[in-house]
Amino acid sequence: MKLLTVAEMALRELSRRRGVLLLLLALPLVCYLARRDHLGQSIRFLLLGLAWAVSTSALFASGTSRRIEPRLRLSGYRSHHLYLGRLVAMWVLGLAVAAPFFALVALDRGGEVRLGALAAAMVLAVTVAAPFGLLIGAAVPRELEGTLILLVTISLQMMIDPADSITRVTPFWSSREIGTYAVDHTGSEYLTRGLLHGVLFTVLATALVAVLSTIRLRSRPHLRYAQR
Amino acid sequence: MSDERWLHALGQELARHRLAPEVTHHVVAEAAAHLRDSGQPALRAFGTPQGYAAAVAESLASQHRPHRRPPGRVRLRASQITKRYGRRTVLKPTDLTVHAGEVAAIVGANGCGKSTFLRICAGLLSPDSGEVVVDGVLGYCPQDGGTYDFLLPEEHFVLVGAGRGLDRARSRRLGRAGAATLQWEAGDGVQARHLSGGTRQKLNLVMAALGEPDVLLLDEPYQGFDRGTYLDFWQHVWRWRDEGRAIVVVTHLLNQLDQVDQVLDLTPATREVAA
Amino acid sequence: MDQDRRGQWLRGVLDVCVLALLARRESYGYELAQALDRAGLGQIQGGTLYPVLLRLQRTDLVAAHWRDGEAGPARKYYRLTPSGEEAVRRLSTDWRGFAGRVDDLLFPAMEEVTSQ
Repeated sequence: MKLLTVAEMALRELSRRRGVLLLLLALPLVCYLARRDHLGQSIRFLLLGLAWAVSTSALFASGTSRRIEPRLRLSGYRSHHLYLGRLVAMWVLGLAVAAPFFALVALDRGGEVRLGALAAAMVLAVTVAAPFGLLIGAAVPRELEGTLILLVTISLQMMIDPADSITRVTPFWSSREIGTYAVDHTGSEYLTRGLLHGVLFTVLATALVAVLSTIRLRSRPHLRYAQR
Repeated sequence: MSDERWLHALGQELARHRLAPEVTHHVVAEAAAHLRDSGQPALRAFGTPQGYAAAVAESLASQHRPHRRPPGRVRLRASQITKRYGRRTVLKPTDLTVHAGEVAAIVGANGCGKSTFLRICAGLLSPDSGEVVVDGVLGYCPQDGGTYDFLLPEEHFVLVGAGRGLDRARSRRLGRAGAATLQWEAGDGVQARHLSGGTRQKLNLVMAALGEPDVLLLDEPYQGFDRGTYLDFWQHVWRWRDEGRAIVVVTHLLNQLDQVDQVLDLTPATREVAA
Repeated sequence: MDQDRRGQWLRGVLDVCVLALLARRESYGYELAQALDRAGLGQIQGGTLYPVLLRLQRTDLVAAHWRDGEAGPARKYYRLTPSGEEAVRRLSTDWRGFAGRVDDLLFPAMEEVTSQ
């Protein structure tokens, strides 16, 4: 109940920010269209654009809540209501944005890609992006610095040679792998590797968000409530 | 000012002096009759609504000195709170005890640690030493901020209410009622970022008090209030006191201090608690 | 007459004058103001008169009730209570004594004047 209320309000808040909505819809579209002639590249850039937009939205959602969360704690929320509620909201938002893009690719290049795998790649991109954005928001106090960190991460993701072993550390490598599986019709080891990486990264990012939020919103030891 | 508006303003001013509704009604009706009979403009016959209401309230003074309930149990006890930022000592060891049904004011010059002390009492900041014991539910209203730009006031009420375990309809109702006592129509679907500074603070205050907390910590919550709302706010504080809540108000405006139960002066030279 | 001075003097005696008027018959606010004006005390504004009436009510020297007007809205009528009647009698005597002493100071007796 408390968690759902937090999620609902986070969604309401974001959906009223036209800048954020524009970002969510325009960025992946631009990424896709920029390399439309080359299927593999366009899908990869679409996935990255989607991940970037969802991460940034999550970062903004963290930003506006920072000052208010201590008051919400006083009102009776526990910290897990707050960060999990926000996470759920970002996942819902991300999936809602991914759906029309999936339809777009299906219509545009439906015959050439494995649609099931594409859907999985999009879902995974959203699943990883949301806690990643929240993590940056929790770790870095100001939105501007957080946005810069995201920008650097995404750029690195684009520029790194996929053959390099360091790419496995990047957050969105998972959707890249599944994207490759979808487009290049490779063997299923790409799929399994991607899924594993994606799930691991999601769990790790969420755990870190949990730790950071709980520390920041902890009950201070100097204050205690009298026993009734 | 038209007579109608003058009479309406008179009614509001009389209410602010805590006169009973029938008394207010009679005074306004009598003034209206006098204006009709004499044909004079209201400002000439009676002066300003504020002035006339004050004269009436003074004439009726002995009739309604409200009986003060004896203070109840201790709701907030802060002991030996100290705080330093680097080399600068912001708070020397400070104590504060507030009972149910008491109002404490924290005063002092700018920068003497009033907000810091209150935030420590609210559990939002850790002191370097000392402890705070709270008996009951806490409510806190910051000086500013504390609201979501892109949410509606009603959504804020639902959010805070859900934390206190209230269902949506109840949260909205309580929020709107709280807003009404501050002369604010809260249900009109305006996002918080479009509200004026004073109205946003009203939102802050209503959120802090939603769900009837036992202890209310208010950090100069009246920023941006016009004179009328400022008086309404203090009437609210007295009413909360009569309901048995413990209230701590940080303020640097001194004109209501003769009615509070305790004054904690944090100005560095003095660290006394005067009753 | 200087307005400030008149105001000062009036503040001292207004409640007594109002009591005296109500001793004759019960009345409402505006009617009292008109009567005071006719008696030569000048225009008493509502902002001055009604607080006085409220104070007299509070100290139980007058009682009030609302009565519907024949032609128009209801008005609040004031009348003396028994303690009000007694107060008028007492205050009238007190005033006569007080004013007499002031008179003596301002207008010394004829013998003293002519002897200078």
